[in-house]
Amino acid sequence: MTAITTFYLSRVLGLKVYATDGKYLGKLNDLLIETGADGQFVGEPYRPRVMSARLIKNGEITCLDFKQFSVSKIKNRYSITCKDPRIVSDEESFDFLLLKANILDKQIVDLNGRKLVRVNDVRLVSVNDGTFAVAVDVGTEGLLRRIGIGRPLKFFFSLFNISIPSKFILWDDVEAVDYSNFNIKLGTTFKKLNTLHPSDLADIIEDLGTHSRAHVFSNLDEERAADVLEEMEPKSQVDIIENMPIDKAADVLEKMPANEAADILDMLEDERAELLLREMEAETSEDVRELLEYEDREVGSIMNTDFLAFAETDTVEKVLEVIRSEKPEVEVLYNIFIVNETGKLNASLSLRDLVISEPTVKLSAIMNKKHILVHDEDRLDSLAEIVSKYNLLSVPVVGKDNELLGMVVIDDIIEDLMGRRRTK
Amino acid sequence: MLALKSSRKNIFRNIAIFFAILGPGIITGSVDNDAGGITTYSVAGALYGYKLIWTLIPSFLVLIIIQEMNARMGIVTGKGLADLIRENAGVKITFVIFIGLLLADIGNTTTEFAGVAGSMEVFNVSKYISVPIAGFMVWVLVVKGTYKIAERIFLIFSVSLLMYVVSALMGKPHWSEIGTSIAHPHMEYNSAYLAMVLGIIGTTIAPWMQFYMQSSVIEKGLKMKDFKYTLIDIIIGCIATVVVAFFIIVACASTLHVNGVTINEAKDAAFALKPLAGNLASIVFSFGLFIASIFSATILPLATAFYVCEAFGFEAGIDKKWDEAPEFYFLYTAILVVSCIIIMIPKAPLIQITLWSQVLNGMLLPVVLVCMIMLVNNKKIMGVHVNKPIYNVIGWITIAILVALSTLMIVMPIFN
Repeated sequence: MTAITTFYLSRVLGLKVYATDGKYLGKLNDLLIETGADGQFVGEPYRPRVMSARLIKNGEITCLDFKQFSVSKIKNRYSITCKDPRIVSDEESFDFLLLKANILDKQIVDLNGRKLVRVNDVRLVSVNDGTFAVAVDVGTEGLLRRIGIGRPLKFFFSLFNISIPSKFILWDDVEAVDYSNFNIKLGTTFKKLNTLHPSDLADIIEDLGTHSRAHVFSNLDEERAADVLEEMEPKSQVDIIENMPIDKAADVLEKMPANEAADILDMLEDERAELLLREMEAETSEDVRELLEYEDREVGSIMNTDFLAFAETDTVEKVLEVIRSEKPEVEVLYNIFIVNETGKLNASLSLRDLVISEPTVKLSAIMNKKHILVHDEDRLDSLAEIVSKYNLLSVPVVGKDNELLGMVVIDDIIEDLMGRRRTK
Repeated sequence: MLALKSSRKNIFRNIAIFFAILGPGIITGSVDNDAGGITTYSVAGALYGYKLIWTLIPSFLVLIIIQEMNARMGIVTGKGLADLIRENAGVKITFVIFIGLLLADIGNTTTEFAGVAGSMEVFNVSKYISVPIAGFMVWVLVVKGTYKIAERIFLIFSVSLLMYVVSALMGKPHWSEIGTSIAHPHMEYNSAYLAMVLGIIGTTIAPWMQFYMQSSVIEKGLKMKDFKYTLIDIIIGCIATVVVAFFIIVACASTLHVNGVTINEAKDAAFALKPLAGNLASIVFSFGLFIASIFSATILPLATAFYVCEAFGFEAGIDKKWDEAPEFYFLYTAILVVSCIIIMIPKAPLIQITLWSQVLNGMLLPVVLVCMIMLVNNKKIMGVHVNKPIYNVIGWITIAILVALSTLMIVMPIFN
């Protein structure tokens, strides 16, 4: 029978499953799907296959291979039969996701909406080849269906020509993250989450429960983890860093701009901060320690110690080579600084001026000697005006002898402005 | 250099930690003494004298245990109670519970506006004026987002409820009688008395407060390692609630009960403050009642809309705009509007409505408690922080007693 049966998870859970010879196998407790941890995300619509079924019979749980199962709909009722019950071992099903335990009624990441939504139901399709999970139902109609008043209400509203909103999201566009059990199955990488902007991912992680938060975060690679951590609220930052193993936390902090890392370390207990600083690379931890010395209202406290500095005899081509090999973050590129042999700031140069010049031109020809600068112990209040007046994206920060220490980026100045307004 | 700073920091740090963590228990404790509370305790004192004071003691103990469970659940899971119920009890049960919660909370909000109406009647302001204006003010305050500041102001004013303590003491209570009535709990098996007991429990341990407490704990970002501070905060909050309740009952017993005055309207309850305030008793009382009512009227409907939306997966929160969270704003506005309308019905029996909404709380409580106990014993959710056996024992005994009281109360009239 080449039949296509589409069904909702909620309608098949609890159904009695029989073998083709009539033997009662148990009630359907859950369905396990493959997680596609090995690069399934290749631009093709991905529908995870149902690999096994969990049945309960007389209080005992068995896991059977779903290949021998078939789902059919006869006269508006679903029936599940099994040709040849084969028990699936725990190792085989190690990587599988349980639909009822891990997805149904849990929160899931809506990748397009960039937020968490709650799963009301799961839509599956059964074809000759097997059974697959197609989409999640996050709409009101699904909610009503689960409560059991879906059909009558639908009928009632149809009399007024009002339709109850339904919302489905295809499996491609969601990522399951809520592993609120303590039996967390490791090894699931959240590849699809990488398509989200760090800011959105930070918001989502903050909304998750404690375990899922730690789990998702620990699965990000260090660069990404640093980006996401930067965007989080201070309380969440502390929470995450405190719950990570010291070496991993140090790695993540190293990848962040030194002033951001300093801010987080400032909020931790001194002993833990000290441990982390010792674990970090010497160069980075020195930078961070220096930044920690600054008072809260001083420019130095929001200064970024990553910057590009060259001699005035360097050529445009040399600068571009360095940029290509270092691959700095975008803020570092706003302005390029020219220093003398002792590190004293002489001039600055915008990315625009760099890019429009010929490769052989020396920096001395295009640099701007009348540059604006601030000192590391100046008050923060002056910065916003300077940035606005001179239309700057970043301002260089110098020490007592005018040696270049770092720069303040417009993003951090705005954050500071907003932060101050909040406390007023 | 960091080592030097830390020794100086330690002393201040402990105090700072305490004050930073302070909050959920104390705020919840203060909100507990809302219009419903003041009315219920006043009526209890006026009708039965000291006879119902003993109910405060088990209420106090159970309140602490329940709040501790909520705080523990919130800290360990980082999820609200509504989330946990939805994730573990399935949609059908969630639906039934939250419809019940919604109804009870419409009742509670109605009570707050009854308090507003009653307190303003003392100044001869008709309820048709005071209630819509108050309702509108509250709505604007919350929707425009400045309610956090208002919360703090109200919190300070709620200290004014301590005037009951002074008034009670000035009314020369009979301490030996109070002691006897606590030592020998008086129990009557008629509907009215049982309803009163349920009402006192329901107003002291209101179901919506469990959700509120758990969310506050999460919002504050508290940790298990600082749990002893949280516990202190909870105990202080519960003590505040019960102390005020005790003195309201005593004050009313010494003044109203002794003189056989029953409370039909809010201004009758003001009589309890005569020893302290003399002829100003009414004004002083109205002020206290008004503040308590408005305080809760801002928090309660907001909390309810939030949890109901959370359970059903709708976006919620005043930080979201109208079109981002339409169900939330609609629900919030609806709760306010329905409550105001009920109060404005001509000749609406404000006191009766108030008392029965607290009884409804008492009846809904065992349902929420059962869910909570199931959740807090679930190893998958709580890990090592599951309940100690004694908590479970107390929890189940409480549920059994509440269910028994509710059943008796409903069934009694049929037998009479």
